[in-house]
Amino acid sequence: MGNVGAVFLFEWKQSLTVPRMAWWLVLAGFPVFIIGLIRFTIEFGGGSMELTPREFWIWFLFALCPMLVSMLGTMLWVTPVISAELERRSWVYLSVRPNGGTAMLLGKYLAAVTWVIPPVLVGLAIAIPLSKASDGWQIWWGMTRLVCLSTPAFAAVYLVLGTVMPRRGLVLAVAYSLIFELVICFVPAVISKLTVHLHLMALVMRWCELELPPWMREGAGKLIGNSPPWEHVAILLMYPPILLAVSVAILRAGEFSSAAESDV
Amino acid sequence: MIELQNVTKLYGRVIGVNDFTLTLGPGAYGLLGPNGSGKSTLLNLITGQLRPTLGTVRVMGQSPRNNAALFRRLGYCPGTEGLYAHVSAFDWVKYLQQLQGMTAVKAGAAAGDALELVGMTAAMHRPISSYSRGMRQRTKLAQAIAHNPDFLILDEPFSGLDPVGRHELTTVLLNWIGLGKSLLFASHVLHEIESITQSFLLICGGRLLASGTAEDVHAMMVGLPNEIALKCTNPHELASLLLRERAAESVRIAGDTVTVATNQPARLYGQLPGWLKSSGIEVSEMHSADESLQALFTSLMKMHRGEL
Repeated sequence: MGNVGAVFLFEWKQSLTVPRMAWWLVLAGFPVFIIGLIRFTIEFGGGSMELTPREFWIWFLFALCPMLVSMLGTMLWVTPVISAELERRSWVYLSVRPNGGTAMLLGKYLAAVTWVIPPVLVGLAIAIPLSKASDGWQIWWGMTRLVCLSTPAFAAVYLVLGTVMPRRGLVLAVAYSLIFELVICFVPAVISKLTVHLHLMALVMRWCELELPPWMREGAGKLIGNSPPWEHVAILLMYPPILLAVSVAILRAGEFSSAAESDV
Repeated sequence: MIELQNVTKLYGRVIGVNDFTLTLGPGAYGLLGPNGSGKSTLLNLITGQLRPTLGTVRVMGQSPRNNAALFRRLGYCPGTEGLYAHVSAFDWVKYLQQLQGMTAVKAGAAAGDALELVGMTAAMHRPISSYSRGMRQRTKLAQAIAHNPDFLILDEPFSGLDPVGRHELTTVLLNWIGLGKSLLFASHVLHEIESITQSFLLICGGRLLASGTAEDVHAMMVGLPNEIALKCTNPHELASLLLRERAAESVRIAGDTVTVATNQPARLYGQLPGWLKSSGIEVSEMHSADESLQALFTSLMKMHRGEL
């Protein structure tokens, strides 16, 4: 565990650079910008919308914070964990240390999760008052819990993808996000229960006292059913340990030498 | 210390190492081979980064794959750079020692000591991006020796070092061997290995072609076409001197450098200092072109295939 701690601290120290801090601000500012833009361009109260303003804001905040920003933040940090070291040719220095590869994987995972959660929460804390949605505290508390569950889960998924296919990891991660988390999660089939999105959706409905939008009632609604929130929380909490174990197993079984054929 | 049994490593249809069988006891060894001969692949197999397609690899009696206990006793300085540009040498070496299992305090002390040993104390808190190639090479060596391993593996450690740096590094490595520790040193330059150890392994085309002492290698090279480049004060006089003494088959002059082709390198090396002294010609640089070694490897490959 000491090795993991060393990687975690080293990565955090590395992240305190101007470009990384700028990216931190972009992550925090993105939901604020979008919510602000909507707030000042859409007039509620026309009566033509299917959702009440409160429901509208909750679904929008949900789509932005625990979903989009958490996904994007973890995808861009965690997926290239191995490929970045291979491309930089620094992998070899880590791989000849006792459990060096494993420590690198877990340390970077922890650094990514702890780095991504704060800007999402900051963005959320500014975006909720900006939206002027009723029950702001309830929404904030529900969303905060969702962010704390979604970020480690998404990061674990992307870590596996980046370990399975280091050199095409980002392509795989984008494809996974679009196909599984944005399409298959709405399909009324058992496979959608494997997506992070479906469990987050079930929780946001319970914690923020929402109904599913009409267009989703036939699909995802049937899958979400009436399971208690703890079931979804438990599933989301199981994602990181299971997927981290899978990533470590892949890492230990694979060959991640920087050596190309030209280096023979 | 190292035992390879019929090890073959394939990269798709490209052979990295071909049916390699080798047993080495504790000591210092030079792995000599031209670029692309399979040295790096062999070192990657020995350090457990690659899995052999066929055969078995044992280092200190254990498989090197994912072997934490072995990695505590192993130091590796790869041929590629791969340093973090914005980190200082001290922070980087300290970080790697923490990965080795040391506490932050011990890792800091070990990093400081290792960087001092390789002559990097003055610059060790500067970002690595500001270092010369030689300084980066020293930093790489420091990370390999900081945890005081029993067995050190170096891949082209002299690459990019100036003559002073080479001399200092040679001293460090000789002291290392003097402590009774083991060393495997890969290079494509004969005299680099010769300055460190007298035990050679010659590798080419992924095969172990020969092994022996420096004298054995030189003996093999006698009779093979050998090119030596000499940078001197009076190239024309030196060229005529060498032809007059029948020490050269041909000479080529380019600027202040005379390139001599000879079939008697041993005689040339032995008598050249005397000839230079008597003629008053000053030679500032002398190096054997790689082609001579390549010729040796080509001949050995032909012998290996039964063509000679």
